[in-house]
Amino acid sequence: MTNTLKISKNTRETWAYGFFGILVFLFMWQLACLYTNFGKIFPTPVYSLRAFLEAFIKPIGKYTLLGHIAISLKRVLIGYALSSVSGILIGLAMGHSKMIHAIIYPIFSIIRPIPGIAWIPLAILWIGIGEPTIYFIIFMGGFSQMVMNTMDGAQHVSKELIGVAKVLGARENQIFRKIVLPYCVPYIFTGLQTSLSTSWMAVLAAEMITAREGAGWLILAGMQTGRIENNVIGMISIGGVGLILASLLRDSERRLCRWSVRSR
Amino acid sequence: MVSTKPVTTDKTIIKLENLSKSFQVDQGEALILDDINLAIEENEFLVLFGAGQCGKTTLLKMLAGLESITDGQIVIEDKPLVGMDPRVGMVYQTTALFPWLTVMGNVEFGPKARGVSKKERREKAQYYIDLVGLNSFEKHFPVMLSGGMQQRVGIARAYCNDPEIILMDEPFGHLDAQTRYMMEEEVEKIWEKEKRTVIFVTNNIEEALYLADRIVILTECPAKIKKEYKIDLPRPRNLVSPDFLELREEISALVELREGAE
Repeated sequence: MTNTLKISKNTRETWAYGFFGILVFLFMWQLACLYTNFGKIFPTPVYSLRAFLEAFIKPIGKYTLLGHIAISLKRVLIGYALSSVSGILIGLAMGHSKMIHAIIYPIFSIIRPIPGIAWIPLAILWIGIGEPTIYFIIFMGGFSQMVMNTMDGAQHVSKELIGVAKVLGARENQIFRKIVLPYCVPYIFTGLQTSLSTSWMAVLAAEMITAREGAGWLILAGMQTGRIENNVIGMISIGGVGLILASLLRDSERRLCRWSVRSR
Repeated sequence: MVSTKPVTTDKTIIKLENLSKSFQVDQGEALILDDINLAIEENEFLVLFGAGQCGKTTLLKMLAGLESITDGQIVIEDKPLVGMDPRVGMVYQTTALFPWLTVMGNVEFGPKARGVSKKERREKAQYYIDLVGLNSFEKHFPVMLSGGMQQRVGIARAYCNDPEIILMDEPFGHLDAQTRYMMEEEVEKIWEKEKRTVIFVTNNIEEALYLADRIVILTECPAKIKKEYKIDLPRPRNLVSPDFLELREEISALVELREGAE
């Protein structure tokens, strides 16, 4: 009881410190705008905040701010879902079967270090400008991380636990479902975390180059039209959405992996 | 006293006949178990005792079907043992619980894998969870339990699968002395209540004397049967009774003598 109380007090203090940090940051931003040349090329925080609130009602380009974010989110979720599902399946297969590993790993290890955004030119040439290209770029951004993490889990499944299951009467076909799969879950979540942040990066890069809407387009358009406040709005929303996505994922990991030491 | 041939009675459940095990190593073969002959009676509490690191666990793994047999054979109820056998259950030194399953999930794992109906296996698992004193911990994950409690789960899991023979591989080796005494009492109580043949490996002489009907003393590498002691002291045993202490002296001396000679 005293323990939980102490923790919640600590959390409150941490929040207070964090809030204080943000205030200091905004204050220095305001000072810099008022008293240095920075003000000529950059809007003040007060102006940015007003523009931010306005952007919820007044469209920038084709959509309001929420519309742009929704479009980016939709793209990310489609690309991310595709890369996650296929990455988990291929990772499990590579980790579980030595033969599949031997076949796929060499080619995979060449593709793996290529960042998702390096595929942009090729994707445009192959698929053209449009939604599928953007999905493809996001897919390439998260796919290798999903494969690597899942494979890592499947390769390191405890031999002892497999033995235990067999002694208890589990058949060969039950071992995969009852031991290998649950063993991989924390590894899969690690993959989902890193892959989510690279997917979010990939969608922005793709939108900067091939789209007329979305959060990525918004920051680029802000630069091209000389409306820096749009750029600031876009960047803040990108940060916010990224943060929300990551914490949603962390929460679901905590709920699903209560058994794991790592998630506590 | 050293038996060369297993003396079988009609209550014999396991026979080890000329059992040997060697591992391939860089320089050739390393002999781990050397010509073990042993007959184990139904419901006997047999302790394999030896100071060395060699052989005891391997012998248990062979009985569990986790290690191959190099030479000789293991016969359970007149049938030679081939691989895993549902009549054999095991409690592990490391507890080896499935971390993603709750206490209930771990205990009911065996029956569930074998397709026992939910109602039946839940009832059974609950019985063994209660028996090891973990009532109200059914929904806890292993990571939330202490070492002693984790090993209780391991014991319940082994019993719940209905084996006739339970192998225990230094199950309390990682526990502190106090918890260890408690667990030894617990194991004895469970064994009195739910009679099974238990083969228990330990290198703790007090633990061996407290639990065993018979102690089989193994030599160090390669492990051979050095001597057997039938322990007739009344249960539960008093750790400081003169008889207990005398046996303890004698066996300690025997094991140390061997080490001194090396």
